[in-house]
Amino acid sequence: MKQQTLASERRSKAILSGVLAVICVIYVLPVLAVVINSFKLNTFVKTDTFALPRGEMWAGFANFVKGMTFGNYPFYKSVLYSVFITVVSTFLILLFTSMAAWYIARVNSTFCRTLYFLCVFSMVVPFQMVMFTLSKTADTLRLNTPWTIPVVYLGFGAGLAIFMFVGFVKSIPIEIEEAAAIDGCGPVRTFFLVVLPMLKPTLISVGILEIMWVWNDYLLPVLVLDIHKYRTIPIHIQYLKGSYGTVDLGATMALILLSIIPVIIFYLLCQKHIIKGVAAGAVKG
Amino acid sequence: MKKFLALALALILSLSLVACGGGGSSKGSVYWLNFKPESDEALQQIAALYKEKKGVEVKVVTAASGTYSQTLTAEMDKSAPPTLFVVGNANSVKDWSSYALDLKDTPIAKELNTDAYNLYDENGKLVSIGYCFECYGIIVNPDLIEKAGHSMDELKNFAGLKAVAEDIHKNAATLGFDAFSSCDMDPSSSWRFTGHMVNLVYYYQERDGGSKWTECPATLSNDYVENYKNLYDLCINNSLTDPKDLATGGHDAEAEFKSGKAAFFVNGSWEYSAVSETVPNATMIPYYCGVSGEEKAGLNCGTENCWAVNAKASEADQQATMDFLVWLVTDPEASRIAVDTFGAMPYKNAQESTNKFLAAADQYAANGCYVMDWATNYQPAVDDYRAALVSALNAYNADQSAANWETVRTAMIDGWAAQYKAQNG
Amino acid sequence: MSKKPTGGNSLRRQMRKWSPLFLAAVVAAFAIGFVWPFVQGIYLSFCKFRLIRDAELIGFGNYLTALQDEGFRKAFWYTAGFAIVSLVLINVLAFAVAYALTQGIRGSNLYRTVFFMPNLIGGIVLGYIWSMIFDGILHRYGTSIVENSTWGFWGLVILVCWQQIGYMMIIYIAGLQAVPEDMLEAAKIDGANKWQTLFKVTIPNVMPSITICTFLGLTNGFKLFDQNLALTGGMPIITMADGTSIKTTEMLALNIYSTFYNSKSTYPGVAQAKAVLFFLLVAGLGLAQLAYTRKREVQQ
Repeated sequence: MKQQTLASERRSKAILSGVLAVICVIYVLPVLAVVINSFKLNTFVKTDTFALPRGEMWAGFANFVKGMTFGNYPFYKSVLYSVFITVVSTFLILLFTSMAAWYIARVNSTFCRTLYFLCVFSMVVPFQMVMFTLSKTADTLRLNTPWTIPVVYLGFGAGLAIFMFVGFVKSIPIEIEEAAAIDGCGPVRTFFLVVLPMLKPTLISVGILEIMWVWNDYLLPVLVLDIHKYRTIPIHIQYLKGSYGTVDLGATMALILLSIIPVIIFYLLCQKHIIKGVAAGAVKG
Repeated sequence: MKKFLALALALILSLSLVACGGGGSSKGSVYWLNFKPESDEALQQIAALYKEKKGVEVKVVTAASGTYSQTLTAEMDKSAPPTLFVVGNANSVKDWSSYALDLKDTPIAKELNTDAYNLYDENGKLVSIGYCFECYGIIVNPDLIEKAGHSMDELKNFAGLKAVAEDIHKNAATLGFDAFSSCDMDPSSSWRFTGHMVNLVYYYQERDGGSKWTECPATLSNDYVENYKNLYDLCINNSLTDPKDLATGGHDAEAEFKSGKAAFFVNGSWEYSAVSETVPNATMIPYYCGVSGEEKAGLNCGTENCWAVNAKASEADQQATMDFLVWLVTDPEASRIAVDTFGAMPYKNAQESTNKFLAAADQYAANGCYVMDWATNYQPAVDDYRAALVSALNAYNADQSAANWETVRTAMIDGWAAQYKAQNG
Repeated sequence: MSKKPTGGNSLRRQMRKWSPLFLAAVVAAFAIGFVWPFVQGIYLSFCKFRLIRDAELIGFGNYLTALQDEGFRKAFWYTAGFAIVSLVLINVLAFAVAYALTQGIRGSNLYRTVFFMPNLIGGIVLGYIWSMIFDGILHRYGTSIVENSTWGFWGLVILVCWQQIGYMMIIYIAGLQAVPEDMLEAAKIDGANKWQTLFKVTIPNVMPSITICTFLGLTNGFKLFDQNLALTGGMPIITMADGTSIKTTEMLALNIYSTFYNSKSTYPGVAQAKAVLFFLLVAGLGLAQLAYTRKREVQQ
């Protein structure tokens, strides 16, 4: 009897696994479509989207070469700016918001409570609400370059980060910090030597969320950056459509492929952290 | 002490955050917001030349195709707005005239050899002055026409054009080329039909009215919609590409024409330098569309390229801009580059044009043909109006039914009135 | 107890001395990046202006114009419809996948990895990928995603499903793993079949996850922008008999964007008023979620 249920359970699990495998394959098809079309000549991308790039359709690596200069803007520059902006913004957000969050969590002043309230409030404000005025303010303060735009990201992204850090700091006992203080540590040393190491899991979660946000963000940089000089990857790709002349779909797909490869590699390397970070971020809603 | 240290540290931190490059100079500078992506390269070259010769920085920024008005709005609000920008149509004059210097009797206005391409606002202020003029129509490869057993003399009216085009299309397989190059409806190409070809609808009713439009008319008549249909149908149904396949674009009409795969190419004089590389004999014919007396039609001549100087820029910047403009239209080397890029410039001391399409326009005019001026510049709420027309044409391309054409007509004629009303209350 | 001052108090006192170091950067950036633009945005929604420096107060005129704007109203209903449809589909599918993946089948990790992957690709890129795929399919039927608003709608639904199912799945997996093992055991012993266990034990226990995902899906749907812009950009446009035109696949965020940056004579004040209304809507959803979760937490 028991044997039988076990066997049937095993069978149903096998079926389930099979079904999931099929869905999985369907799931990666869009990415595969990008791969095959990035090697295809422009004119065939539309007519034979799902065919392998064989025979006369084969463009080889020409699409990638063309993609590099396509759209009147060198692609490598977009990549560099994207990387720079993402890395610096994430670093600034992690450093400054964790410091501020520790302060807010431990010092119970009116100012801190107001700041915390504003941060939580900022999480429900859609970007469209501030985009027009923010781009104007950023321009006046010359935050319109890749070197300075991280300040805007720090400002607009502070809400979520502070919320998450404060939540975590409140859950760690203050006694450890007190002990450090009694041992003669000032607040700065206490923060960097005692608190920061304890924050590591949250640092990773917040870091992942910020990286994903900044890397993929389109609207903020397109409105804030001086886009004639500086483009990030999403801006570059969106501008291919608007550029003069004919849009070479093959070259576009080559660029898309180049831009998602690092993301996929990053994902495969830090999968566990990414999934955990996302789950942690989701709770804020 | 500690508090001071903390403050200092914080100050350094926040300063390093806000630290930035840039810094104004007391000498005037020029910032030209250009709207034609295809001329960007030449303008950069001119800017470099000016820097080299006169030592004054000229920044040329080009908006991506179809984004000029939004770029201008954003740029004008910035701390260093353009000192020189393009106000090329009635709509734009309305929006920007309060930001434009009155150019009457300025040094650059005195260099002009015609008033034909200048734009005035309702108070008679000279808002912008044409810096080049262009023409559009149908670019033809005469060699292919001959190869198909026809002659250029047949292309004198719509009936002749239709006969030749349909014959070429019918025999495309044996000839190895087709009549029209692709008529894509994606943003990089749709303006050829929703901005240019549609001009015939406007122009002929303007002519019927007896005088040139000076402002956007509130309504249009249906009188010439059929003529547009004649020509449009001919283009899409006798081309390399199935009309059903035009909506998303992806065909390179210019390359098709250049490589001899198509005999006709709906476009303008700015294509000359590209096209003449491989089709040196290329010429241009008017939009023949079945209007009576069209044997006397000429090309569509006009401009959307008009300079306006920012009235809110500093005096030094305005002066620097003015100096730059005068230099640009008088200096032999600079005006050579500019003329070669733009086609022809209406300035006394600018270089002669080498553009054969513009020469064709002159030839038509010299033969007593009427010039079809750019009534299309009056399109109200240009972006939205054209986008609606594109959608209607897409539906028509997919299914050339009478009902779908009716939608095209509505978008073209009633859409004009609706946009006009939305804008003017 | 006569002790020396506790470490905690002295620590707090010292921290206050160092407060600029801890707070200045965030406060400054937050003021620049959020507080000031927000306040200015509210103010400008009551102004008529073309450039900010010329703004003049006009009262509620912009709001009136915004609410009378046919395109904006249409975009609202379209967005609401889209948000609900995508919400239901994403959640049902994500839950199903999460449930399947917690049954201890082989390859679960691989499947999870694959399902989550699209979530990392940005909206603009996603829009491009899918417009190529849809056009590749629709090409055979002589149409395309920018010509057919039905396809435009479902295309966008498919796109966000592909993107977001993996995300919601992660949340559901966490919820499902937290369902107490003994409750499932007890249900089994009581002779409950799989479906009964699912509906009577599992689902009530993952209610918190369901709440989160519901609100998340709803706000995501309402705020959608990049995907909308890159996939159809609002096309096709319908021309009404009176000549007015309406973008059939334009969502709220895109409508606001076009009102700001396209060349209509509706000055940006109207767009800013739309943005404020949009903010009230999204914030309202956020607050409703907060209130709802609070209430549940109290009950439990």
